[in-house]
Amino acid sequence: MCTACKCGSQSDNERITIIIKGINTSSSAKTIEKTLLGMPGVMHVHIHAHDGQTIIDYNPARTSLDDITQRLESAGYHVQ
Amino acid sequence: MEVKVMKNILEKNEIIAAENNALFSKHGIFVLNLLGSPGSGKTSLLERTIEDLKDELRLTVIEGDLFTSKDAERIARQGVPVVQINTCGGCHLDAGMVRGVINELNLNALDLLIIENVGNLVCPAEFNIGEDAKAVVLSITEGDDKPLKYPLIFKQAGIVIINKIDLLPYTNFDMAGAQEDIFNINPSIAIASVSCRSGEGLASWYKWLKQQVVTKKGLINRA
Repeated sequence: MCTACKCGSQSDNERITIIIKGINTSSSAKTIEKTLLGMPGVMHVHIHAHDGQTIIDYNPARTSLDDITQRLESAGYHVQ
Repeated sequence: MEVKVMKNILEKNEIIAAENNALFSKHGIFVLNLLGSPGSGKTSLLERTIEDLKDELRLTVIEGDLFTSKDAERIARQGVPVVQINTCGGCHLDAGMVRGVINELNLNALDLLIIENVGNLVCPAEFNIGEDAKAVVLSITEGDDKPLKYPLIFKQAGIVIINKIDLLPYTNFDMAGAQEDIFNINPSIAIASVSCRSGEGLASWYKWLKQQVVTKKGLINRA
């Protein structure tokens, strides 16, 4: 729910940290960020290009972790 | 207990929203939920839209605000039916509030119902109110970083109206960057860049809106 007025379900968002293998440049990191952000339940993505550490804020009711993983793997990246 | 109660409220709202939409659809009415920050230009956009389209479309407006009937009065001066809902502190309209005023609408003589929601980029995104589509007004003066900061409302919208483009020369608003962010968040969204003051760009907004009305009527006729 909205933490200010306590309506809605946005506090149902979850934050995960994963490592994406195979990111070589900051531009490829940006491409992945854009790809994930376009998914219905993904609200925020930040990738550290130097080590692939990725923070994702998402609503599991709209997009599952499996969906996210499959999107990454179909783009040729391995999730650790 | 609190999480369960909120989930029940959202589920109940969805049921009423679906009932609202079914009633509007039965009469072939396209319903738009107009969203945006306070001061983004929602009411000004409505005034221009009514002025330019009221000879082509039968329009009615529901106005949502915490207090006052200021916006309803502005719309009434345009000569179309308008109903004001005051939430008296609530930060968004919900489906029950809209259901509460349906009897004040003439559903038999209506093509397009626009519901101007309470100014807020957060909570209205969570509550369907019986609409067919959401439209978000984003003004130049709010800054180009707002789509990434408030992604849910942009994910939910069918169109973004970037307003006050006449002020672009006086700001450092990055139009290309903002549009890229919007498309990254919602690849299927439409974008219209307009100035309600000068009239620039409004034709693209009208084209989108009229297409939605026509499509809705076509779907209803085929059903």
